[in-house]
Amino acid sequence: MNEHTLCFDKILFLDGGMGTQLQDKGLLPGEIPETWNITRPKDVRAIHEAYFAAGADVVYANTFGANRAKYHGDAPLEETIAAGISIAKEAAKNAGGHRSVALDVGPTGRLLKPAGDFEFDAAYDAFAEQIRLGAASGADLVVIETMGDTYELKAAVLAAKENSALPVFATVALGDDGKLLTGASVECVAAILEGLRVDAIGLNCGLGPDRMLPFVKRLAAATSLPIIVKPNAGMPKVIDGHTVFTVGPEEFARDVCALVESGASIVGGCCGTTPGHIAALKDALAGRDVQRRTTDATTTVVASGSRTVEIPLDDSIVIGERINPTGKKKLKAALTEGDVAYVLREAVSQSDAGAHVLDVNVGVPGLDEPAVLDATVQAVQSVTDLPLQIDTSDAKALERALRHYNGKALINSVNGKKESMDAVLPLVAKYGGVVVALTLDESGIPPTAEGRIAIARRILNRGAEYGLHPSDFIIDVLCLAISAEAESANTILKALRIVHDELGCRTCLGVSNISFGLPARPLLNASFYTMALANGLSAGIINPLSTDMMTAYRAFRALTGKDHSCEGWIEKYKDFTPASPTIRAVSGAASTTSPQQSGSILYEAIRHGLKSDAAAAASEAIRGGTNPLDVIGSGIVPALETVGKGFESGTVFLPQLLMAAEAAGAAFDVVRSAMPARGEGNVRGPIIVATVKGDIHDIGKNICRALLENYGFKVIDLGRDVPPEKVVSAARSEKARLVGLSALMTTTVGFMEQTVKMIHDELPGCEVTVGGAVLTAEYAKKIGADHYSKDAMELVRLAERLFPDTQGA
Amino acid sequence: MESYSTCCGTEAGCHPIHAETTTPRRGTMPLSVSVAEISRYLRIGRRLPEQELLERVERLNKMASAVIRPSYTWRRFRISDNAITSGGIRLDICGTLTRHIAGCKDAYLVCGTIGTGFDALQRRVSTLSGADAFVMQAIGAAMIEHLMDATEELIRRELADGEDLVSRYSPGYGSFPLAAQRELLELLDAPRSVGVSLTDTLLMVPSKSVSAIIGITNGREST
Repeated sequence: MNEHTLCFDKILFLDGGMGTQLQDKGLLPGEIPETWNITRPKDVRAIHEAYFAAGADVVYANTFGANRAKYHGDAPLEETIAAGISIAKEAAKNAGGHRSVALDVGPTGRLLKPAGDFEFDAAYDAFAEQIRLGAASGADLVVIETMGDTYELKAAVLAAKENSALPVFATVALGDDGKLLTGASVECVAAILEGLRVDAIGLNCGLGPDRMLPFVKRLAAATSLPIIVKPNAGMPKVIDGHTVFTVGPEEFARDVCALVESGASIVGGCCGTTPGHIAALKDALAGRDVQRRTTDATTTVVASGSRTVEIPLDDSIVIGERINPTGKKKLKAALTEGDVAYVLREAVSQSDAGAHVLDVNVGVPGLDEPAVLDATVQAVQSVTDLPLQIDTSDAKALERALRHYNGKALINSVNGKKESMDAVLPLVAKYGGVVVALTLDESGIPPTAEGRIAIARRILNRGAEYGLHPSDFIIDVLCLAISAEAESANTILKALRIVHDELGCRTCLGVSNISFGLPARPLLNASFYTMALANGLSAGIINPLSTDMMTAYRAFRALTGKDHSCEGWIEKYKDFTPASPTIRAVSGAASTTSPQQSGSILYEAIRHGLKSDAAAAASEAIRGGTNPLDVIGSGIVPALETVGKGFESGTVFLPQLLMAAEAAGAAFDVVRSAMPARGEGNVRGPIIVATVKGDIHDIGKNICRALLENYGFKVIDLGRDVPPEKVVSAARSEKARLVGLSALMTTTVGFMEQTVKMIHDELPGCEVTVGGAVLTAEYAKKIGADHYSKDAMELVRLAERLFPDTQGA
Repeated sequence: MESYSTCCGTEAGCHPIHAETTTPRRGTMPLSVSVAEISRYLRIGRRLPEQELLERVERLNKMASAVIRPSYTWRRFRISDNAITSGGIRLDICGTLTRHIAGCKDAYLVCGTIGTGFDALQRRVSTLSGADAFVMQAIGAAMIEHLMDATEELIRRELADGEDLVSRYSPGYGSFPLAAQRELLELLDAPRSVGVSLTDTLLMVPSKSVSAIIGITNGREST
């Protein structure tokens, strides 16, 4: 590596557009640009030479699309990359002076999961091969550019860091709205790339230099890394049937100067820019110094693939605690059974309830934690854009989940034990992230606040050895139950205050541990939460579905001036009506509605798809003394029958059916919670549902699942793109008698056939029903399925036949 | 509306009809769909949604409108030897498409999408509610259809005198093979120009995307 050219103390000049230059020389639509490295090397070299002559310090070799996933030219990939680098190096040599050649790494052209079907690891492999070949051919640095998806960007950066020792530049392409294709903001990109420790970050393509300005300013505020800009020569216009980039060299140079004044220090051009643009830029910036930037390195930010969340020093955020099986029987069962849908519901409801970050912990004895944590983190990221807290004490599981996490994660946790610090801190340094530091060590949890602070300091010092800043940590001063340790709350509150005032660090706390072993836990938790917030708690790990907790949170923010003009409070409680002062007598004598009346209210609520009305009517009936089974028998079942029959005869339509079923489901939930003793024994099923391998269209399957559940069946939803083996193993372990498979496309019905066959071969007695847009009854028969379900209602009818109701409801 | 300028403003006939291909167009447009458009995909017959369903449609439509990024690209190509050929890629005009665009010398390849944000929202609402899942997919279907119709209107503006368009035809219709998706999207550089790519099983992602070929007729020559 030529050290001079990558000195960041002065402005570094890159080249201009390559693709548009090749098109000017005759590259056709659909033609693979990299093939010119073999077929027309002189033309490629001439472009590099012109850019060097114009004053570029670095040119990007013609290897943008030379990755296994995208490239399908006649010449082998190895030769194409080697030729691309060597052409650029020849040009560099001819130009003399300190010139560098970058291996250009563009996107794979595939959409990664969950947006598409391409695996992160497959993208990584494609980039890794390209980077190894480029490095072996003598590239001086790796530039990753025009990325539109933070997840693919992460795969490319990891591949570059793990397969070469070269400097890594990374730039993304913004759309008109200043976001990536997948919705990420520049702040999100900065958080992820800083965490991954690239050498410089920035923007290329997408926009002209004038429109890049606001985003360069935001980037400069979000990162301390050198900033790259490679704008287009304005927006393309079509004149006389030709694409013309309208920003000429002088205007371009003037606008890029403004970007430099805002913090950019590595400059070049993208589509439509020419050697003339680079020469003008070089002139315009002659003698200019790099803008000294002071960034606020003390913010603590975590990110998903599309949004950032700041963990504030003088305010607080909510970390949702519900995806953690400790003490949660249903979640434990869902994780063991592979019921993805259950976990996803927990994710979305917490997000809807106002959580800012979601904790994900899958620690169930006997479970393959690395595999399950990895899969769960990816599944949760497919339904929420909240950043996650990856929560595990297994370093292997942590690394695998961190690697596949899209964004910059919150990591839970490291502690003062040497073993823990040795295992966790390097992972934080490598993948980026903010890590929770538990104030315990080999000798346990110190009883005093001061003892815990001493451990926190030790962890921070060890972190510094890995290049981690105190803002990369959140200190957990550990919440011990007051039932066991009378002074616990006092110690915690004191420690929170010291961490805030003396260490200047953020804090977090598993708030509800405080009440362990005592009655009326929610009441204690909410009070303690308020006290912790008042003592500087930055992030409470709480149950966001608890009204008491969220009210405490919102009240605290409103009362301390953190909720600007009380807007959040007003928005949330503008329709607030105080609970009825008289609590209805349990006897039912006080009830004004008869069982018949409440039954018919429930019936009507369900028929009209009024979810909250149905739930309210059900609980009203139960409070009024109606036997829970009668609520089902006289209200829920008849209503479902009416809409079901209506649907079958064409008088009720699918959306009404689904809404009615949802309302019934809400009523069922109320009834079930009123008869806990009946337990799971009377639930009908289980029925396994899955969208087959290769197919990511799962709306139909989701509708089936919802309807079945609302009709009272237990459903285990394995998700989409599910391989046959996984369906078989779930059906086996759950002793399922019915499996429902969906496939939307003719191209994926093959996998459906395989799955049916495997189930029949290995699980005699297990029946399979299939459905989906392209299927017909004949086709279902042809691929060996036992049943065909035309729609969700037919599936419900089939389930009713296979699982006759035993509870007489 | 569109973020590029068409040839010489709105003046027709100024692009080189005799070239093998014209320059690609791409852009984004604001997009909103009415309840009436959505209800066509709700399977409720010829009626409009009322009350609870209407409220749900309106609520979800608002959520969807906030996350979509409608974008489109198209490019005109010459048809010769029953194919569109460029840069080593050959898109065969075959199956039922052959008759559909018989007599057309040129055709547009077009691709549009409402973006990955919609799919993410669809996944999200589907976890909690089957009814929301169903209504949301209807909204997405209405949106992509609206986008493609609006895109076709933009294309019409650059037709020469006497030229007209036949209706859109997509891979997978009739016996025009789904596999033609690969060549069609490559000729449009769709992953880069609009962010649309294919899965191994030839599904377009984002899921609410449409690709198509639109034949160009010349009124003086064909009937």
